[in-house]
Amino acid sequence: MLDRKLVEELISVALSTGGDFAEVFVEDKLSTNIRLIGGSVENSISGRDFGIGIRIFKNLRSIYAYTNQHTRDALVKVTLEAAQALKASGISKDIDLRREEPVNLHRIMKRPNNVVFTEKLDLLRRAYEAAKGYSNEISQVYVTYFDEDQKVLVANSEGTFVEDERIRTRFSIESIASKDNEMQTGRVAPGKASGFEFYDEIDVAEYAKEASRMAVTMLHADLCPSGKIPVVIDNRFGGVIFHEACGHGLEASSVARKSSVFADKIGEQVASEVVTAIDDGTIPNAWGSANIDDEGTRTQKNILIENGILKGYMIDRLNARRMEMDITGSSRRQSYKFAPTSRMTNTFIAAGKSTPEEIIANTEFGLFAKEMGGGSVNPATGDFNFAVMEGYLIKNGQITTPVRGATLIGNGPNILKKIDMVGNNLGYGQGMCGASSGSIPTDVGQPTLRVQEITVGGRREE
Amino acid sequence: MNIQTLREAIFKRGIEEGFGDMELHYESNKKFSCSVFEGEVDDYAIAVDGGLALRGLYEGKMGYSFTERVDETSIDTLIAGAKMNAQMIDSSETEEIFEGSPLYERPDFFSDDLSKIKADDKTELLLKLEKEALSLDPRVKQVNYCMLEEYESETMLFNTKGLAKVEKTNNMVVYASIVVQENEDIKSAFKLLIKRDFKKFDYEVLARQLVEEALSYLGATSVESGSYQVVLKNTAAAEILQAFAGVFSAENVHKGRSLLKNKLGEAIAAPIVRIVDNPHLKEGVRSASFDSEGVATRRNVIVEDGLLKSFLHNLKTARKDGVEPTGNGYKSSYKGIITIAPTNFYIKAGANSYEDMIQSMEHGIIITQLQGLHSGTNAVSGDFSLAADGYYVKAGVIEKPLNQITVAGNFYQLLKDIIAIGDDIEFAIPSSSYTGSPSLKISSLAIAGENKSK
Repeated sequence: MLDRKLVEELISVALSTGGDFAEVFVEDKLSTNIRLIGGSVENSISGRDFGIGIRIFKNLRSIYAYTNQHTRDALVKVTLEAAQALKASGISKDIDLRREEPVNLHRIMKRPNNVVFTEKLDLLRRAYEAAKGYSNEISQVYVTYFDEDQKVLVANSEGTFVEDERIRTRFSIESIASKDNEMQTGRVAPGKASGFEFYDEIDVAEYAKEASRMAVTMLHADLCPSGKIPVVIDNRFGGVIFHEACGHGLEASSVARKSSVFADKIGEQVASEVVTAIDDGTIPNAWGSANIDDEGTRTQKNILIENGILKGYMIDRLNARRMEMDITGSSRRQSYKFAPTSRMTNTFIAAGKSTPEEIIANTEFGLFAKEMGGGSVNPATGDFNFAVMEGYLIKNGQITTPVRGATLIGNGPNILKKIDMVGNNLGYGQGMCGASSGSIPTDVGQPTLRVQEITVGGRREE
Repeated sequence: MNIQTLREAIFKRGIEEGFGDMELHYESNKKFSCSVFEGEVDDYAIAVDGGLALRGLYEGKMGYSFTERVDETSIDTLIAGAKMNAQMIDSSETEEIFEGSPLYERPDFFSDDLSKIKADDKTELLLKLEKEALSLDPRVKQVNYCMLEEYESETMLFNTKGLAKVEKTNNMVVYASIVVQENEDIKSAFKLLIKRDFKKFDYEVLARQLVEEALSYLGATSVESGSYQVVLKNTAAAEILQAFAGVFSAENVHKGRSLLKNKLGEAIAAPIVRIVDNPHLKEGVRSASFDSEGVATRRNVIVEDGLLKSFLHNLKTARKDGVEPTGNGYKSSYKGIITIAPTNFYIKAGANSYEDMIQSMEHGIIITQLQGLHSGTNAVSGDFSLAADGYYVKAGVIEKPLNQITVAGNFYQLLKDIIAIGDDIEFAIPSSSYTGSPSLKISSLAIAGENKSK
C-alpha cells in the first residue's frame, strides 16, 4: 500500500523533533452502495477512499496529521509539519520495521467486488417484493445494499509493520405502513464482516417481511405508557442498553480523564450479580470484528464485568499511558481521517439461566421491548437513553397489545444494578456507533433480560 | 497530474466509453484542530485532503463514482465505476446535468483574516477558556472537552455543458464541555460556537455561560409524569426542527416519507410560525452561492403565517412538480449522491423574550437540553420521545432543575401547538443543514418522569 522504506522514513521524520512514539496508518477502501426505492433502483455509487494518517506522541501529548496526497514529498512535508508542532528537539534515528502477518480469523469466501452486479440487483428486488407483498398497508419500501473492502497498513516506531483487510457486507430494509393521515416504519439491517456468502446464510425476504411486520404492527399500536415501570428487553439489538448504559463509560477515552462514572471502580460491584459483560473483537466474521485494531494490535476478548464486578476497561495506546494500564486491542477509527481511540467491537451481556418465557411469566406488569433503535450516553454523568421501536404491554405475565416506540432513559450505574433476570438466549444485532474517532461498525448483544424499573418516555398517562 | 488536465482526460475517456453529459466535483479541504486538558495542549491535528467525483449519463442513466486517490489512476476508477453504477439504475426518473443558472449571487463566505490566525493563538484561547472555567467555582471538577477546529474547503464543479463553478469557505468551531460536582451529584453542560471572526470568541463569556448552566442543574430531580405546557429553549427547539427538516423535502414528499403531501397552501403550523431557508446568511455555516447540482441558491420561504408555501427542491423534483428548482440539491460530499437538504434553515424570531415566556407560565417545564435525537425521532411518522434536561416552573418562576425526564410528542402536532415564539434565535450543532430556532412555547407535550402519586 505504501513502500516500507517510505514508511520507515516517515516514522523517522516524525520522531525528529523529540516525539517518543510515531505511527503511520494507510487506508485503501473500495465501497459500493445501491439503493432501491419503491421497486426501482434509484441510486448506485461506488468509490475509493484512500489516505494516510500519521500520529506522534510525546508523553501524553498527541499530534495527528492526515492527507490523501501520497507522493513522498507531500508525505514528508505533512509529517514534518506535524512533528514541528511538538516544539521540542530531538535527533532522528533509523527505523527498522518488521513485517508481521496477522492470523486471519475472518475467512472470506466470495469477495463482493467479484460478484456480478445482477446478483446484487436480484437481492434488492427479492427483498422489495417480500416487503411490499406483506400487506396492502405497506406504502413504501427502501432497500439498501452495502459492501466495503478496507485494506489497512499500520506501522509504528516500535517496529510493527502489519497489513490487514476487512470486508464488510450489510443489507437494510425499511418499510413504511400507512393509513389515513398516519405513517409508521419498520427497519432491519443485518450485517457481517464477511463477503457475499452472507446471502447464502440469510434470506433477505425473511428480513424484509420482518421490517413490514414491524411497520404494520406499529400502525395499529396504542401510544406507549409513561413513567417508571419494569421492562423486559428482548435479545440481540436489546444489547444497546449495555452499550449505552455502561460500554461507553468503560472506554479509556473517558476513563483516563476520570470523566466517566466508572473510573477508579475496578474490583467493585457495579452491576447486579446476574450481569457478565464482554467485549470481543475476535468473534469470527462478526460485524465489529477485525484481526487487528487500528493501532495494529491483535484484537482480543476482554471481560468487562464478571458477575457484577468491574474487571476491565477498553484501552488504547495513548490512554494506556495516562492510566498506566495495558492496551486491550480496542483502538478503532472510522478512517484515516480520525486518530484512533478506545472503542467497543462486539459488546454483549453473557447468557444467564432464565428462559425468556420465565422472564415474561414472572412480570406482572411492564413493557416488553422487542425491537430497539440506537441511543446515546453522557459518560460524565452516566445518563443514557435508547429507543424502543416495537413494544408490547405485559399484563399478568403475558405479552398483550402492541405499543408505539418510546425512549427509555436511566443512569448507567443505577440501572445495571436493577437488571434482575437474564435469559439464556444470547443474540447479536448490528449497529454503527458514533464517537470521537468517527462512525464504526459494532455489534451489540444480550439475551432477553429484565430491568426492575426504568423510565419509559411514552405519551399515555396510565 | 493537476485537476485541469485530469478533468480533460476524464471527459475525453468518458465520451470514448459512451457517456453523454458528465460532471466532475472536486473538493479540497484543510483542517486544523487542537484541544487542551489540564493546562496542556493534549491533541493537535492537521489535515490536507480532498476527493474527486464523477456523475455521468450512460445509456440515459446517471452513474456515480468517486476517488480519494487523485492521480492518473482516477480516470479508470471513475469511468469504470460510473458505468457499472449507471447500469444498476432502472428508475425512469432520470437526473440531469445542469447548464447553469442565469445569475449567481457573489457573496463571500471566506475570511482571509481567519485563515491567518496563528496556531499558538488558537491553543492560547483554549488554555484561557479552560483556566477561566475552572476558576469560576470550586464545584467545577473539570473541563472534559475544550477544543477548536478550523476548516477551509474549496468546491469545484465542472460539467460538459460548460458549467464551471468554484467556491471557497472557512469557519472556526470552539466546543467546550464542563463537569461540575457537589457531593455525589455530577452534572455537565456544553456549548459550541461557530464563527468566521476569531475576535468574536469570547472565552470569558463562554466560560461563565457553561459554569452557570452546569451549576444550575445540580440537585436536579425528576418530575411527575403528565402533560405540561413547555418552553423549548432555542437550541433544543432548533434540534427538533433539524431532526424533522426532511419532511419539507420534495423528494420525501414524492417517495411517501412526508405527511406534507398535498398540503401546499394549507395551514400546517400555528399562524405565528414562519420558516425560512436562507443560503446567503452572512454567518451561516451552510451558506453557498450554488448547490450541489450547480443551481444558484436563493432564499426560500417555506412556511408563512402557518401556511406551507414551498417544498425544498433539486432539479429532478422541481421538474416533476413543474416548479423552479429552489437550489437545495445536496450531496453530503464528493462521496454522496444528489438528494435534497436545507441550507441555513430556521424558524423566524418572534416578539417575546425568553424571560417573558417563562413569567407567563403558571405551571410548566422548560426543556434546555435534549439527548438521543438520532434515535428518539422518527422522521416519517413525526413521533419523538427524547431524554431531556430542564427546569420546572411554577407561577412564572423557575422552581427546580430537572433531569431523568423525557419529552414526547409528534412534530406535525407540535408545529400547530406553538403558542409563543421568542426573540432569541440560536442554531444547533450543524449537520447536513444549519438549523436555527428561537425559544418556542408549546401548549402541551407529554413528560415522563416519576409515576403519578395515586
